[in-house]
Amino acid sequence: MRALRYTGILPSLLMLVVVIALNARLQPHFFGLPSLEDNIATLTPTILVCLAQAVIVLSGELDLSVGAGVSLINCLLATVPISAVGGPWGLMGLALLLALALGAINGVIVTIFGLPSLIATFATAAVWFGLALALIPQPGGELDQSVGDLYSGTVSGVPVPLFIVAGALLIWTLLGRHRLGRRIVAVGSNPAAAFQAGISVLRVKLAAYLVGWLLVGLAAIAISAQTLSGDARVGDTYTLTSVAAVVIGGISLAGGRGTPWGALVGAIVLGIVSNVIYFAGIPSIWQEFFKGIVIMSALGFMVLEQKRAAVA
Amino acid sequence: MLSSPEGLPAAPPTDGEIAPPLLIARGITKHFGGVVALAGVDLTLRQGRVLGLLGANGSGKSTLSRIIAGELSSGGGEMHLAGAPLRHASPQDAARLGIVIAHQHPSLAPDMPVWENVFLGAELSYAGGFIDRAKARRRTTDVLSELGSRLDIAAPAGTLTAAGQQLVEIARALARRPRVLILDEPTAALAAAEVGHLFAAIRRLTEEGVSVIFISHRLAEIDTICDDILVMRNGRTAGAWTTSGRLDEGRILSLMTGDPDAVLREMGERRIGEPVLRLEGLRAGPAVRGVDLELRRSEIVGLAGLQGQGQVELLEAIAGDRRIDGGTLWHKDRAVSPRRPRDMINRGICLVPDDRRRQGLFSGETVGENIGYVLLALAPRPWHLPAEKLAALATRAIRRLLIKTDGPDQTVSALSGGNQQKVVIGKWLATDVEVMLLSDPTKGVDVHARSEIYAIIGELAQAGTAALVFASDVQELLLHCDRILVMYEGRIVEELSGDAMTEPRVMTAAFGKAAG
Repeated sequence: MRALRYTGILPSLLMLVVVIALNARLQPHFFGLPSLEDNIATLTPTILVCLAQAVIVLSGELDLSVGAGVSLINCLLATVPISAVGGPWGLMGLALLLALALGAINGVIVTIFGLPSLIATFATAAVWFGLALALIPQPGGELDQSVGDLYSGTVSGVPVPLFIVAGALLIWTLLGRHRLGRRIVAVGSNPAAAFQAGISVLRVKLAAYLVGWLLVGLAAIAISAQTLSGDARVGDTYTLTSVAAVVIGGISLAGGRGTPWGALVGAIVLGIVSNVIYFAGIPSIWQEFFKGIVIMSALGFMVLEQKRAAVA
Repeated sequence: MLSSPEGLPAAPPTDGEIAPPLLIARGITKHFGGVVALAGVDLTLRQGRVLGLLGANGSGKSTLSRIIAGELSSGGGEMHLAGAPLRHASPQDAARLGIVIAHQHPSLAPDMPVWENVFLGAELSYAGGFIDRAKARRRTTDVLSELGSRLDIAAPAGTLTAAGQQLVEIARALARRPRVLILDEPTAALAAAEVGHLFAAIRRLTEEGVSVIFISHRLAEIDTICDDILVMRNGRTAGAWTTSGRLDEGRILSLMTGDPDAVLREMGERRIGEPVLRLEGLRAGPAVRGVDLELRRSEIVGLAGLQGQGQVELLEAIAGDRRIDGGTLWHKDRAVSPRRPRDMINRGICLVPDDRRRQGLFSGETVGENIGYVLLALAPRPWHLPAEKLAALATRAIRRLLIKTDGPDQTVSALSGGNQQKVVIGKWLATDVEVMLLSDPTKGVDVHARSEIYAIIGELAQAGTAALVFASDVQELLLHCDRILVMYEGRIVEELSGDAMTEPRVMTAAFGKAAG
């Protein structure tokens, strides 16, 4: 209980219950298997990007290029012929390699060149988007159906998307018990202390970017497998959604405080909010407006709760 | 297992034998920009012995120890560890060689539990880098109990008291099993019992052959624990010897301060008037623990003592910039309880803060704008910009305070430190200053500007302002103040005036001697 309060995850769990209850009321057969599977498949990329953002934020940095990164990887996947890389698995390997490369570029700019991550990744986001446009100027292109089949399939009865999310969370959990994961938190919590404790702050932040972008790569694979086409704007919404999810999940934007579970809950809350608004029958022009209001309220609620917990 | 440094020292030399040197530093220099922090220090640390490092604030003790610990690179000179040249570039390198430091100001990850902080950067892990939590928790408990502490090892380090954090910082150093252990003012935040446990731990370590560099301002502690003494002054070695019998305090103080007799005195003609400010048992946070003082019109009172004894916090509390927890603050005949600086500014009680760049100036703005902010803040009609008044104020301040600038339109960050400080003082010319509180106003200011700043204070005092000045340099207080109050651990422990105002007496009180 104390651990829950300390990580600030409790209020976001409460919020999760509320949005799920709302959604279950509004969406027919929400708890039905087809609808649940569908929701999970839709949520998976969001969850993965939010987990990615969480690693980077915990290390004390930020990445505003994760969305554009998803788009760029998606466009590459829709351009490269599957025969050239030897099937769907080759294509996924390619996606992860590109993700790591993008993460390395961001990491190097932020750590070695010392640019503030807020600005640096804002700039690289434009670069990724530009490259994505160059590959796929108009939404289109085509991914091999085999990728989609893999994603919509099951592994011993468990849907693949759920498997991916579980895998990502497993990696995260292991990281939390690993030297690297704890050093990421230490660096985010107090870089000077980490340095004086003999930790290389640069290397740890770079590692955080790489781990984060591995998850971004997975997210890009998931979204590509769902749409089976290329779109230079497909990842646009993920960037700020991931930042909001991180905050809702009780992770401090100053770094060093929070858990992956918070990011998971925040991602699901934000994902379901879109659902709720859709099924609430709000006219489509007003949907964005209400989404904004709901996110604002969620953030406000979180911040107030965190302050209260800090005083208690 | 925490990897122990290669080549652990051999058995300690038996009594009577001369312990061989383990760490030798020769001619170490260090510059920060144009400021010389170390001007060629020699240090010899013998195996299994405790070396006491003494010196006034700013004499270079911390810089030297950080260089030895690999946190700073030296500008010149050489170091040898166990006969081999020592060239380490980082704290990691130093730790690998067995050199570990516990800082004066604990640097912990506030969100992480105690046990993780203790092993941060030297995690006890299984193959593959997964952390052995059980072992780390057990070892943390062991190390802390060696220090006589029963801290909750699961508590986030940020929630601990200052003493608790200090103990974690020390435990972290001990957990690395050093052969050279540097303790930078480890006892400043500790209670007497905890100091006793620490000393017992140090003795056990030296019996195992570990060498310790011990920095403290408390001479009694140096006397108790140290085998060798090194006194530093202005970045140089002022004296070094092996102790035999009790310490000669006079000798140490005169080595620390240079020549204590050569104090010039210069007093303007001022008629000290009625009391304007009176404190009764003022308390503010952990730093100010009950201060009584009285300040009269036209009086210049110095606040002395070692750094961090609550002087800065006291001034901030009087200025309404820090919450007052108890006691009474009398302004003339009225008890006031300020909630914000504005409350006191309206009474003519103004603060020249400790950190002029962070608290005193808008660095990107011009000299004129900086001087004008108080006028703007106090203006009865804030929507009206009194342009002429602002310009006149700026010109007057520049002329009166002899601020060296191209004019009111120059960016304030382009000025020298001394002239920036004059701008900070100048902004108060917009109001009638009854009490001027100055927190180390000559920090980082050259000699000439320093005397000018005191001339300004003197001029204000002649016009009736009462000044309360904290300065880390005792000499300047002796030179310019009517009275000196010495603070120690949040209280005023000594009041000196007239012929009693001498550096040895101030220093003695500063070390808490007069109180205990």
